[in-house]
Amino acid sequence: MSETSNQPLAEREELVAMQGIWKSFDGNPVLKGVNFGLLTGEVHALVGENGAGKSTLMNILAGVHQPDSGSIRLRDRAQATIPDEKSAQALGIAIVFQERSLFAQLSVAENIFAARQPVKRLGRIDRKRLHENTRLLLRRTGLEADPQQPVESLSPAHQQLVEIAKALSHNPAILIFDEPSSSLTERETQRLFEVIRQLKSGGVGIIYISHRLPEVFQIADRVTVLKDGEGQGTRPIATTSTDDLVRRMVGRSLELRHQDAVAAGNPIFLEVRNLSDPPTAPKAFLRNISFNVRRGEIVGFAGLAGAGRTELALAIFGSRSLGAGEIFVAGKRVEIHSPREAIAAGLGYVPEDRKDGGLFLDMTVAENIVSASLRRFGQFWLGDREQMDVARQFEHSLRIVCRTPKQVVQRLSGGNQQKVALAKWLLVNPTVLIVDEPTRGVDVGAKAEVHQMLYQLSRRGTAVVVISSDLPEILDISDRIYVMREGTISGELNRLEATEEAVMRLASLSPP
Amino acid sequence: MEIPNVASSEKASGKSIQTLGRTVFSRELALAALTIFTIIVFWILYPTSFANFRNFSAILRNLAFEGILAIGMMIMLVGGSFDLSVGSMASMIGVVTGALMKMWNWPVPLAVATGLLVAALGGFINGFIVAKVRVNALITTLGTMGIFQGIALLIGGPGITYLPESFSRFGQAQFLGLQSPVWVLIVLAILAHYAMAHTRFFRQLYYLGSNPKAAHLSGMNVEGLQTFSFVLMGLLAGLAGILYASRIATATSTVGVGAELQAITAVILGGASLAGGRGTIWGAMIGVFFMGLMKNVLIISRFSSEWQGIVLGGVLVAAVAIDAIVNRKRGH
Repeated sequence: MSETSNQPLAEREELVAMQGIWKSFDGNPVLKGVNFGLLTGEVHALVGENGAGKSTLMNILAGVHQPDSGSIRLRDRAQATIPDEKSAQALGIAIVFQERSLFAQLSVAENIFAARQPVKRLGRIDRKRLHENTRLLLRRTGLEADPQQPVESLSPAHQQLVEIAKALSHNPAILIFDEPSSSLTERETQRLFEVIRQLKSGGVGIIYISHRLPEVFQIADRVTVLKDGEGQGTRPIATTSTDDLVRRMVGRSLELRHQDAVAAGNPIFLEVRNLSDPPTAPKAFLRNISFNVRRGEIVGFAGLAGAGRTELALAIFGSRSLGAGEIFVAGKRVEIHSPREAIAAGLGYVPEDRKDGGLFLDMTVAENIVSASLRRFGQFWLGDREQMDVARQFEHSLRIVCRTPKQVVQRLSGGNQQKVALAKWLLVNPTVLIVDEPTRGVDVGAKAEVHQMLYQLSRRGTAVVVISSDLPEILDISDRIYVMREGTISGELNRLEATEEAVMRLASLSPP
Repeated sequence: MEIPNVASSEKASGKSIQTLGRTVFSRELALAALTIFTIIVFWILYPTSFANFRNFSAILRNLAFEGILAIGMMIMLVGGSFDLSVGSMASMIGVVTGALMKMWNWPVPLAVATGLLVAALGGFINGFIVAKVRVNALITTLGTMGIFQGIALLIGGPGITYLPESFSRFGQAQFLGLQSPVWVLIVLAILAHYAMAHTRFFRQLYYLGSNPKAAHLSGMNVEGLQTFSFVLMGLLAGLAGILYASRIATATSTVGVGAELQAITAVILGGASLAGGRGTIWGAMIGVFFMGLMKNVLIISRFSSEWQGIVLGGVLVAAVAIDAIVNRKRGH
């Protein structure tokens, strides 16, 4: 497939052979006997949905995690374990992480050679050599930057290239890219591919994780699909197709959800027209988004991580400045500049990370439940008893497991914390409720209960918007689905059209 | 599972007697116990010099200044912020007010009102820089601390003496054996306690201090609350400075030196946390009283004044350390 493979795959040396890798976190198996191999001078793509186990597999290879069972062979050495990142480095394994791990205020050179700066006698840092070496590495990545420039002055894409230069500085035999292109433009991605081809012709084995299937077809020699922690086979890229990959990535057959159909004639409770970020904003991202949600309807927002769903929710909820666009709640045009105004207009938002923006962790269950509704408990003499009564009602009806509503939320389980975060908004009782990742990190039982709560809410007439990266969840509970990709809506699917294949295709493919 | 329809069941059922207060280890109570213990011990050891009304009245008189600052500081810390400029602010406002009445012969009420206005303005500047411009509170108020102190020295030199009798009359007045600054402190403490414990507006500060992002997403006006707390702090510091000047009929330019750290020490002793979201007004008052008491008993038991810092510093670190250990054991 690629111009540099002047040697048939079968005759190349095997760099890595991972056999039957198992790994569980807190009793949940994430990898279930995965096999994975890498040859010299090969680009091997690893694809799969969010949570399929790609990053875990690579973290095991990079020494970040230890497998529960299974064997790893490197070249001809039977290396049972890679105990930590340092020994992975010593074995010639380098990883370019999806989340950048740079020191923003330090210079490019100091980042690349963190704690490994060349030194003169007496341990003084040899700045001349440091900058010379940095320049050489930067040239290989095609980044024109001053080694002394602080990393924070570079664009995210250029920071990504610094990250790659840092990996190259270890002279790796095996280089892992975890979603390297997610912050790169098309041109920068092509430049990255040139770097990869150079490395490849030098015999380096490259593992390339990406959601962007067109890129996989452009750069990879072989591709392995992971789904729910199980390998779905490894094939040479020439013998596969986008449809084949998508089918193996999502794999489930279409099941009919039984749910009361929502009358399509219900009034529209939330309508967004042509919403965009201000073009002058430093992180202008959202483009031209229009959608609507009807009374009693559950509308799902699907998409890959970073597609802009949370940003959209924050923009509607007044926590992110709006460039252009109109928002109508129950038919009335509203101007929203803050969450306070959003709540007054009839909106509610349950944030994606309950620990970050959703809960007051060191406050009590009762204090959390009333936190967005203090107004209803009085102005000059807040009714503590009334607050407790309301909290008790929610504790019982939502089956929040806590000793008393006076218990600090931090000590509850994830599922119960999520119920508290939802209870807070059930008490506000908004016209439109946006729920961001309603069941992230909660157990199966609580998940079903949260879904029940969302159904009930919709039956009560609330318009519910669910943002979720859990595709089966979205398909299960939504009446309608919008799919987002790169800051805009790439498609709308009704319940009959919505299959995992259809969603994934809209979420990951570039427009024709 | 059924979502309660709370809108219709809003009337109180009257069954529950518990309130929202938390049942965790309370530094307030521990400190109150230690305070009572100290009083009993010294009551026995020094029945004449310690245990008499005049001595207690003196303790209270000396802590009126820091007590008023501590009220404001507690409100700041609950909201997750703090203010190092309060001592300088007190000095500056005392001097400004004194200068207005002494050098420019303004009528006393007008001079006092103007002084308080300047205090509110100074607090607003702090608040604006922290909340709107988003400069760290430590750095902002470290800067304005220097600025306010400088202004006080520029206007007043070392100080302005022989302030008009019509001004000093209030600060020196007595009622039931206590000087008026003590009564002002008591009234302010009761008002502040009511506000923090029972009004919706001030309750929001606990949420803000606990998690500013969640407070914002719950519809609270985070910037407004922060700015407000700085303005209130400025006003209280200004008032403390004016009362002190009134009591001694002199506006001293350096009266507030070190007072900010005393106030922060007192409120942390009394249960506040630098991480925000914790603390009560009565805790702040116990903290201030405990500090005044310790200074007093050290003097009575003839320890040299150098011991004050050592003892209070030791108690502060011990209190916070015990708190951390207890909370960790409870699985925080």
